[in-house]
Amino acid sequence: MIVLKEGNRRIPKWNRKVFAVAGGVTEYKKFCPEMKLEEQVMVAFRQMLENNDLKLSPVEIKGLINFLACGSFSDHFQDQLLCEAKVTDYLGLDPMYDIGIKTGGATGGSTVLTAAMAIASGYADVALAVGWERMSEVDTRTGNYYIANAACKDFETRLSRIYAAYYAPMAVRFAWAYNLSEETRAKVAVKNHLYAYYSPYSQQPGKYTIQDVLNSPMSTYPLRFLECCAMTDGAACMLLCDEKTAYQLTDKPCELSIAGGSHTLRVADRRDMEIPLLPHETPDMYKGLRKKEGQRWPGFESFAAARFAAYFAYGMAGITDPLEELDLVELHDAFTISDIQTYGDIGLRPYGQEPDYIESGDAYLGGKCPANLSGGLIGTMHAVGATGIFQGVECLWQIQGKYDKFHGDPKIWKSFGKKKPEDWRSLQVSDAKHALWVSHACVGSHVTVGILKKAF
Amino acid sequence: MTAGEKITKYIGKPAKVLQSEPAKVIEWPRSLIHRHTYGKLSPFFTGLTEGRLLATRCVNPECGEDGLWLPPRADCPDCNQPMTWEELPQPIVGTVHTYARVEYAGTGIEMTTPYFQIDVELPGVCTIFKGYLQYGTPEIGMRVKACFRTEDSTNTILDIYWIPYEG
Repeated sequence: MIVLKEGNRRIPKWNRKVFAVAGGVTEYKKFCPEMKLEEQVMVAFRQMLENNDLKLSPVEIKGLINFLACGSFSDHFQDQLLCEAKVTDYLGLDPMYDIGIKTGGATGGSTVLTAAMAIASGYADVALAVGWERMSEVDTRTGNYYIANAACKDFETRLSRIYAAYYAPMAVRFAWAYNLSEETRAKVAVKNHLYAYYSPYSQQPGKYTIQDVLNSPMSTYPLRFLECCAMTDGAACMLLCDEKTAYQLTDKPCELSIAGGSHTLRVADRRDMEIPLLPHETPDMYKGLRKKEGQRWPGFESFAAARFAAYFAYGMAGITDPLEELDLVELHDAFTISDIQTYGDIGLRPYGQEPDYIESGDAYLGGKCPANLSGGLIGTMHAVGATGIFQGVECLWQIQGKYDKFHGDPKIWKSFGKKKPEDWRSLQVSDAKHALWVSHACVGSHVTVGILKKAF
Repeated sequence: MTAGEKITKYIGKPAKVLQSEPAKVIEWPRSLIHRHTYGKLSPFFTGLTEGRLLATRCVNPECGEDGLWLPPRADCPDCNQPMTWEELPQPIVGTVHTYARVEYAGTGIEMTTPYFQIDVELPGVCTIFKGYLQYGTPEIGMRVKACFRTEDSTNTILDIYWIPYEG
């Protein structure tokens, strides 16, 4: 049994504050032959430098950067070792040091964490977090096999060679343990495909009904294709600074807290353990949680890595009641079930009551704490190394009040060969002060939780 | 020999052009063989080919974990001491903790689809063990029995599978 000691529970502390000031993303699509990897990164980098209302010129800002954290998930996909060197050269940031970051689906979050540590420690005043993935290098089934190498190759990979098959058992068990219906799962898919409809960057926008989702082809029972993210080509980047530089660069900086947690690669190896409680939780809340035969925590239902990352991040950011204090969240909805599982881990609902976050309406725009207004992974993108950066950038733009600027401008739609929908609507959350995003790997092997706080 | 005396010849195979517009995309085929060791877990994989299921146990009296580990590990993650092997008595009967029906599998799948992947609880084992059900329809709590591919072994985890158990 894993027993956490005092040192393990120590809340991370920056030596100085860290701020996010700007972000850049690309169009996300399944196959982007018109650009190479570094050319796509350039698109995100230019958007970050040129369109974020920064008070210095792109060349001047480049002159401030002296560290890069570079995220990409898979050498299999890129088929190019050390692409960090190609990217840093291509962006014209040589000879600044770039560290390659790899933590599966949490790569983007880990990349932001690494850049933030550079700022917090004083290594850099301005650091770039940049991530990418080129998943179109192989066909979809081969891509699924590559990703299944992020399951245990000795004991799991040969048993399915597709990642949906490692989440499907969690979906079955969660439904049995915590009374989750297929309709509630489908609602997550409907919501996130719909929110993607309003984003020019999105890969899988759509106005679907619950029935459309349930009628879509099966990937691994019980998960249908419309409940799963797709393979994506794309990139994203975020600019982090110390306090002084942040206010020199922008009138709208956001203070960043970010932390991570890890757990075994094999979900079935997760033995029962005591639940690390969040500030608003009490031990009494979970007395009846393991009431069914064979129940364990986190087991197949929850993610200890996400819980621990949230425990750290809330401690760093001073969040004591997440549902009340967070104005929006971006969650790692690689599958509908992973999205739902996370509601308990980050305390949007107590464990066992996760479906209520959707059913109550809290998760929708206009609700208490809307989730995945970006369209998330199901609707917009999962270019793995970029994902956890993209999510953070969408949070940043929400707090800065720039949802419309970055999603509603017809010129952006046109630049991707798309037409802004006639019925486009703004998904801007009014007066958002705190936004959280979850970057998540594997079946919960690595998870970061980042929190941006309005600092203007 | 001076550089000018020998002509360097191209001996590769020209790349197939998959598309030319809006950008040129080529095919880059490859076939590679990796060498993979089962390391200290070799007895487990050999055991499967002999019809035996081997787990590991921590025998450090100061360690808090007294359950068996399956999948096995050579060393205990709680106290970091080497563990010892133990064979599970036959018949090996467990209960289905959860399951999934794989319909769309990735490249190289070695089983006919659809099939049921199951996660099995076993008495005395502190972990849960993933495998597949050869026939039947699983449900949570259903009892299943371990079987082994002792002929035509694959030398992989697919040498163990489960069938419904009525005993």
